[in-house]
Amino acid sequence: MATAPASFLPSGSRRPGFKLGPLPQALVPPLALFAVWQLACLTGLFPEQVLVPPSTVARTLARLAASGELERDVGVSLRRLLVGFGAGALTGLAFGAATALSRWTEAALWPLFLLLWQVPVIAFLPVLVLFFGIDETFKITIVALATFFPVALATFDGIKSVPRAWFEVAQVYRTRLPDLLWRILVPATVPAILTGLRVAITRAWVVLVAGELLAADSGIGQLMETGRQLFQIDVVLAGVITSGVIGFLLDRCARALEARATRWKDA
Amino acid sequence: MSFEPVPQRPPHLSQTGPQTGIAGAESARSARGALTISSLDKSFTISGTARKVLDGINLTVRPGEFVSIVGASGCGKSTLLRLIVGLDDEYTGEIRLDGERVATTSLDRGIVFQDHRLFPWMTLEQNVELALLNTDVPKSRRAQIVADHIALVNLTGFEKAYPHQLSGGMAQRAAIARALVTEPKLLLLDEPLGALDALTRVHVQNELQRIWMQQRSTMVMVTHDVEEALYLGDRVIVMTPHPGRIRRIVDVDLPHPRDRRSPVLHRLKDEILAELTAAPTDTTDDARGNLVLLPTREDR
Repeated sequence: MATAPASFLPSGSRRPGFKLGPLPQALVPPLALFAVWQLACLTGLFPEQVLVPPSTVARTLARLAASGELERDVGVSLRRLLVGFGAGALTGLAFGAATALSRWTEAALWPLFLLLWQVPVIAFLPVLVLFFGIDETFKITIVALATFFPVALATFDGIKSVPRAWFEVAQVYRTRLPDLLWRILVPATVPAILTGLRVAITRAWVVLVAGELLAADSGIGQLMETGRQLFQIDVVLAGVITSGVIGFLLDRCARALEARATRWKDA
Repeated sequence: MSFEPVPQRPPHLSQTGPQTGIAGAESARSARGALTISSLDKSFTISGTARKVLDGINLTVRPGEFVSIVGASGCGKSTLLRLIVGLDDEYTGEIRLDGERVATTSLDRGIVFQDHRLFPWMTLEQNVELALLNTDVPKSRRAQIVADHIALVNLTGFEKAYPHQLSGGMAQRAAIARALVTEPKLLLLDEPLGALDALTRVHVQNELQRIWMQQRSTMVMVTHDVEEALYLGDRVIVMTPHPGRIRRIVDVDLPHPRDRRSPVLHRLKDEILAELTAAPTDTTDDARGNLVLLPTREDR
């Protein structure tokens, strides 16, 4: 081939999804929203205690950040997320792989899994409170549970959708089992599993905040719940914004990781 | 690597003995890649009923020979290759390579599929090297052998490219490099150029002829392109479907490399095409029936 090979090499290729993506136009809707919100407050249609203006929320947020309160609560929540996500992801991976790789386990376990998968994790909260109280175990359990289902599902589907053709190639070259696993099966399923992990971490975050709202003595959800009880709507809204931003960042980071790990897919 | 058509194999895999010049290569070659198929039958069971796809196949392929198999779809030609390579071993009759009965896959028998089947997360180099994972080839020599085979298919410079960065023809040549890197005694090609456009096809056909002349392993290629079968094959096996049978074996007595304009090739092409289209088989009857029905449907 006479073509310059350099142009085919991946070094110069772009990495979609690696940037955090704040294009100028992406900032317009949130800014407009804040503007409308601020204007609505200025009209005085709603009592000041109910519709707190964004400027007040921003001040509260700055105050909470300065006092270290926000940092402490966010830190506590993120630690729970990390531990619960780790536990849920590992069990989800193991369960998904075990069910996908054996016909027997699939027949035995998969229907029950699909049934439980239909139940919102939030619905388990009352029962879990009874079992574990409202301590750390409870919160880590709900995060693990919220992580387990999407990861198990993605792992199962990922393994099931590896084309037969690729196993045939391995058979033709008499590829040994460890090589088949690490060089073919794992890379072939990684994209699906990463998508599952990304869905799981954002879902787990939502469930954790909800769980903390319900029963907790610390964490971002508890911060909001305390604010609600004391009728400090500015604190509640500061929590809403914080949890939203954290969820958004978790998703972007997960997407970036996903794009990086599947660079070979870029066409 | 030299590009002159010398029938000598790179000596990196176990050989029958030390090679000294052409005579040594000749004797080593004659012991490798003789394929014998005798009274081979194969049936598939589709919803309870057995359907015969291959019926009484007898075929002997000489070491170093290039044999093409042509036939309409459904004549079992791809099934035959899957049996020879060992991906399917439910059959009656016998398939032997150098006297040894074929059971399951072996590095002695390579295959190139219609879809290149390169792994998208591996570079060209890694894809080719994958074939060497379960061989005795010392790790220190693998890189060189991989590079040699990438050069053999004229892809030097693309070692680090991923499959999606290669064109269809390049990917198929990469698949050929992967299949040849283990130095199989027999290379099977299952419509390897079927998915390529006409121009690329001609180009890869020329490449394949050059590679075969350089490599001289036994090759069996399935195709539905009669011209391609004749251009490359020392012999062309014409098969008919339902059940798959060998209808005729055509000797193409022309030296390689061949000239596409050769009148012999064109005469043989007409003969084989006549044979394939004249055959009053079930499918052609069905097809005709449908063709007659279509205009009446349009009239309504």
